[in-house]
Amino acid sequence: MSGVLPPRAGVTLVVVVAAALLSSAQTPQRTADAGGFPAPTPDLERGRTVYVLSSCHFCHGVDLTGAQMGATDLMHSPLIAGDQNGNLIGPVVRAGKPNLQTAMPSYPDLTPQEIADLAAYVHYLRRQGRYRELMMDAEEQGDAHAGETYFNANCAACHAKSADLAGVAARYPGAALRARTLRPSDDPAPGGTDRTAAGRLQHGKLLERYTPADVRNVVAFLREPLR
Amino acid sequence: MMIMTRREFGKLVAAAPLAAGAAQQQRPLYAINGVGIGLETFSFHDLPPAGDPRLIPTIISNMREIGIGECEIMSGHIEPWPTIATGWWVQSRRAPGFQQLRDDARRWRLSVPMSYYTNIRKQFEDAGLRIYLYNVNFNETFTDEERDKTFEAAKALGAAGFSSSTVISEARRLVPFVERHKMFVAMHNHNNLVDPDQFATPQSFETALAMSPYFKATLDIGHFVAGNNDPVAFIKKHHDRTVNIHVRDRKRNNGPNRPFGQGDTPIAEMLRLIRDEKYPIRCYLEYEYGSFRSSVEEVKACLEYCRRVLA
Repeated sequence: MSGVLPPRAGVTLVVVVAAALLSSAQTPQRTADAGGFPAPTPDLERGRTVYVLSSCHFCHGVDLTGAQMGATDLMHSPLIAGDQNGNLIGPVVRAGKPNLQTAMPSYPDLTPQEIADLAAYVHYLRRQGRYRELMMDAEEQGDAHAGETYFNANCAACHAKSADLAGVAARYPGAALRARTLRPSDDPAPGGTDRTAAGRLQHGKLLERYTPADVRNVVAFLREPLR
Repeated sequence: MMIMTRREFGKLVAAAPLAAGAAQQQRPLYAINGVGIGLETFSFHDLPPAGDPRLIPTIISNMREIGIGECEIMSGHIEPWPTIATGWWVQSRRAPGFQQLRDDARRWRLSVPMSYYTNIRKQFEDAGLRIYLYNVNFNETFTDEERDKTFEAAKALGAAGFSSSTVISEARRLVPFVERHKMFVAMHNHNNLVDPDQFATPQSFETALAMSPYFKATLDIGHFVAGNNDPVAFIKKHHDRTVNIHVRDRKRNNGPNRPFGQGDTPIAEMLRLIRDEKYPIRCYLEYEYGSFRSSVEEVKACLEYCRRVLA
């Protein structure tokens, strides 16, 4: 690795990744360090390394919450929602934001791989945080009609209430339906069939973009009996 | 005016413990080879949140563990809410709920008894530590009454004066306050070169320094270099008006923070210049590069770097 990582960082990375892997092999408990919790996969841990060694966490938060010093709230930033593999994040990170009151530094030396790793980690953090945030809204009532409109625009290419989702409300009572809607799979690692991989990707994108009302409405639509 | 003369500064550093080892555990370090050393509490990125009763004890414990005796403490570490609530970042003023937060902060400042601050001062002094600068980011959301109260707070903390990330337009408003309270405000720079109201260039500092003898400089040498300025030239010209420098290492062209010695900032040259010329300028460590280690461990590493270059 080059770019943002200073000479000792290569060693640090190896040690950190090795420690993370060793730790995960020995115990399911994860121990936080100054850059938050180790990521669940080696790929994401590479991204965490870029995120932390570039000091992103000081302004944007170790888990994207508590942005400070005028930094953008990455948990809700539309730019992050629209990013694919760093295509929007990369140019901002490389150029920095020198005209802010407290400027965001530029990172022109980041390699394309480091940008991709960084972006993957930011999306991972955002999905974790958005899941927590949207689950806290579980008691709210939604508008089933608006949910149907959302479903038809965003979900109907893969799902139908009369087919794969038949009886889904009964299978997932209470907050479980909301949880399943937000995150059909708990496994952040790649794998599975092409279809499940594509589904995971699409659900991840949706999770980054849902408004609280979107989720309330879709859940209300799924709970509504078939007409 | 409470800023030290060269002679007074010499007495301070002569009285400070210089040796490493067991004695350092007993008495914190205030200087290395005649160069005043301290830290900016911003360096502690892993503190309890603002308002948490563990916050001040943690800062004190961190300083004791590192062995540094003097600090510039952020208002966000003194007041019971984060600095974001007091209006410095223009972006934060647009956040929902900001006005309520700001009004709450103002009410608190105007009503809190001075014993709140003297109690914090006592905690530091009981641990053998000193708050030398109160870091308050004065801005246009302050009322005059609030500015007055903030000066009173700094005195109660035992601070000699302020370090402030402020703007030139606010400096103009502060002139009657520094003169009435006979207390200095040292302007702290970032590296925004576009907004002429920001402190980022030698000219911006000189504009403020011309307004009042109570205006000084807290030169952040890392940000200064990131803005492609020369901190050595600045100090040679303005050493008599510079209270302290923030020691950090950044790359030029708005580049990132780096571990000491790995960026473009001439830290070693600056420290040796201050030592050799016996400038009464304090050097406050500011840790802001990325690391998986704790803030305490990294500030220790920063201090070790300074020890090496000043040996």
